[in-house]
Amino acid sequence: MLSRVADALFWMSRYLERADHLSRAVDVTFQLDLDLHGVLANPVEFEWSALLSLLRQPPPQIRNGEDPVGAVQRWLLLDITNPGSVMSCVNRSRNNARSIRGSISPSMWRELNKLYWRLSDAALPARVAESPHEFCEEAQIGVLLFHGVCEATLMHDEGWHFIQLGRYLERAEKVLRILDSKFGLLERAGAADLPISNLQWGAVLKNCAAYEAYQRLYISRVEPERVVEFLLTNPEFPHSVRLCLTRILQSLTEISGRLPDRCDDEVVRTVGRLLSDLVYLDGAALDGERLHSFLGQSLGRCAKIGSLLQQQYALQ
Amino acid sequence: MMTQQPAAGALHSGEACPISAQQGLFAGYELGAAYDEMFGVDSLGGPTPRPHYQSLHDRLLQTSPEDFRRRKAMTDLSMRQDGVGFTVYRAEEGIERVWPMDPVPRIIPAVEWRQIEEGLTQRINALNLFLWDVYHEQHILRDGVVPARLVLQGAFFRREFVGVSVPRRIYIHVCGSDLIRAANGEYLVLEDNARTPSGVSYMLQNRQVIKRVFPSLFNDYDVLPNDDYPAALLDVLQYIAPESVPQPTVVLLSPGMYNSAYFEHSFLAQRMGIELVEGRDLLVDGNRVFMRTTRGRQRVDVIYRRIDDDFLDPLTFRPDSALGVPGLVNAYRAGGVALANSIGTGIADDKGVYPFVPDMIRYYLKQDPLLNNVETFRPEIPAQRSHVLENLEKLVVKRVNESGGYGMLVGPASTKQQRDEYRRLIEANARDFIAQPTIQLSTHPTFVDGRLEGRHLDLRPFILCGERVTVTPGGLTRVALPKGSLVVNSSQGGGSKDTWILADKHPANSRKT
Repeated sequence: MLSRVADALFWMSRYLERADHLSRAVDVTFQLDLDLHGVLANPVEFEWSALLSLLRQPPPQIRNGEDPVGAVQRWLLLDITNPGSVMSCVNRSRNNARSIRGSISPSMWRELNKLYWRLSDAALPARVAESPHEFCEEAQIGVLLFHGVCEATLMHDEGWHFIQLGRYLERAEKVLRILDSKFGLLERAGAADLPISNLQWGAVLKNCAAYEAYQRLYISRVEPERVVEFLLTNPEFPHSVRLCLTRILQSLTEISGRLPDRCDDEVVRTVGRLLSDLVYLDGAALDGERLHSFLGQSLGRCAKIGSLLQQQYALQ
Repeated sequence: MMTQQPAAGALHSGEACPISAQQGLFAGYELGAAYDEMFGVDSLGGPTPRPHYQSLHDRLLQTSPEDFRRRKAMTDLSMRQDGVGFTVYRAEEGIERVWPMDPVPRIIPAVEWRQIEEGLTQRINALNLFLWDVYHEQHILRDGVVPARLVLQGAFFRREFVGVSVPRRIYIHVCGSDLIRAANGEYLVLEDNARTPSGVSYMLQNRQVIKRVFPSLFNDYDVLPNDDYPAALLDVLQYIAPESVPQPTVVLLSPGMYNSAYFEHSFLAQRMGIELVEGRDLLVDGNRVFMRTTRGRQRVDVIYRRIDDDFLDPLTFRPDSALGVPGLVNAYRAGGVALANSIGTGIADDKGVYPFVPDMIRYYLKQDPLLNNVETFRPEIPAQRSHVLENLEKLVVKRVNESGGYGMLVGPASTKQQRDEYRRLIEANARDFIAQPTIQLSTHPTFVDGRLEGRHLDLRPFILCGERVTVTPGGLTRVALPKGSLVVNSSQGGGSKDTWILADKHPANSRKT
């Protein structure tokens, strides 16, 4: 496969996953904001600026007469001058797809194109001001449709594996980042804050589309330690970091055509080590500073995996 | 609604004479001076559907404007969702536009198509013989059939390729000739596009869309499928591969996603199952061409290139080209890779050479041309120059060595100032120009503002030349959407239509009438 095509497939998929996560985060924050309105003095300040710092985004310029929360939503969802907005991510994903239209199935292109046009529909941004929910849901459904069509219509060959790499690497990084931004809450939560903590950790799960899966597994209140353990180490949940890395390792193995324990390349070694760390993670070690440093290291290793992929496959 | 009752035969006098006696979607349909594809004139001078259009006409008559409008909207949506667009360069964002398709198909009966097919086959054979000749012995120039100066000084003549042998002696593998229809119904060749003609993907896409949107239209007709084109193109490309290669690797070389025909490039690559590459994906080593893949280099044997000669190789042609592949031209000369179309085919579709194509057919094939050229004046010849200069407001003047609608004067639509400028240009440099009468392209019912109106159109069939010549049954029908406009280009408000070639099975070419 052409290196340029592999690169475009990887980024097409990675930007789409980014759009999916961001639109889910905005929707979840919007709902949380409504819930916290009655209990916190300044939930707006608190949750929305936490989201911006998680995304490493500066606060947006507020236009004349614009509501500050509305400005954040517009900035994160619609603003094409923000390269990290949902619109920009979908646009970039589509541009990557367009540059290699011949290498994806026509129905994949069609779904991605439909998503782009639906989100660009002039009426939709107007309704974001009242509630971002509809826009966010469109974006997430569009991404799911795209991957469904991809699963069913594209050969599961090298190109398909590059699509998986982009998707799962982005997802692993996002989940790690969400946990990293919330670890401070672990420390601060006292008994009196229990309902609030429940809401906030519930939001963490929802950010990772994990709320129902978690409830099913633990049948209890949302407990921070369990949330962290679940999102990091569960072997079966599609958004757990461990499962993401398992998928990455599988795809790398397929791409290189060698068995994982025979692989001598640096990418596979880096992925394998991180995966082992997650598989054999000591649950008791998941508190406070140690968690913070583990998350930080893991994020660094994800970044390294990205750059090693570029070197190994001559991606641009 | 009868606006005027003209005398029979007035249609052929060249004057506009509106006839309208129609209902439903056809309410107010007017016939002008041009040949109308759907309607002939009956003995009373009124419009009457031609036999092969009767069923379509009747079906449209039963279709309400609302229903038609809904189907038209489905057509547009379908095109947009498939991303069937072309790119226009604009300062602002959102550079994609969808090329509108009109849902009323254009129908060509078998007997007319046979004539077109044979005429185009004859023409591409002559053009390929001409190219071999001018890049080798140059008999046709020495015999004075085509002026040597016209060829040897032509901007598209590649003297670097004199004496180079090209695979299977084929220069033009893919040709898209533009045909128009004169007022008497005769098909004429307006130009031969022998470099990197585009439009075939729209031909295929239009058929897919109309099958989805208006399947009932097909009920009364046996329409020949056009879907075989990508497979036939792949056959041609494999046929020209170096003979020692049993399983040749064929790629399509595109300038990339910002090119206006990018949709077509990716469409064709996908339908043929070959890689779409850009210049930066290829490299030349020892006169062999390779592509950069995730597993290292892979040899490339045949390139269907959709990049003009000028941009193909910065070492040979334009040094500022970032689209091409350094060393590609030498690899081609050395036989390390095959190209389609070959380099230097531009001299065969040069406007200055065009008037001589009928002579080429007689010279090489000893046959009379089956399709005629549009009458063409060469101001270089003194007797013709005075005719041209005296009739500028009636003529279309074209600059040779130009294409794509640049360097043109459309007399009837021109200002005095423009005519004066061309007068000066022609007087100064007569050999740089040709002139043709302004042809009223044929008209066809087209959906505009809630009803059907006559709009001018042309036809671009696609001809492939490999082991044999094939003309895909169909073609791209381009239609000028503004009323009265004769310009069918997509960039100037043009649209397209599905083009139906009828099977030759039944005398009337129709199943149920």
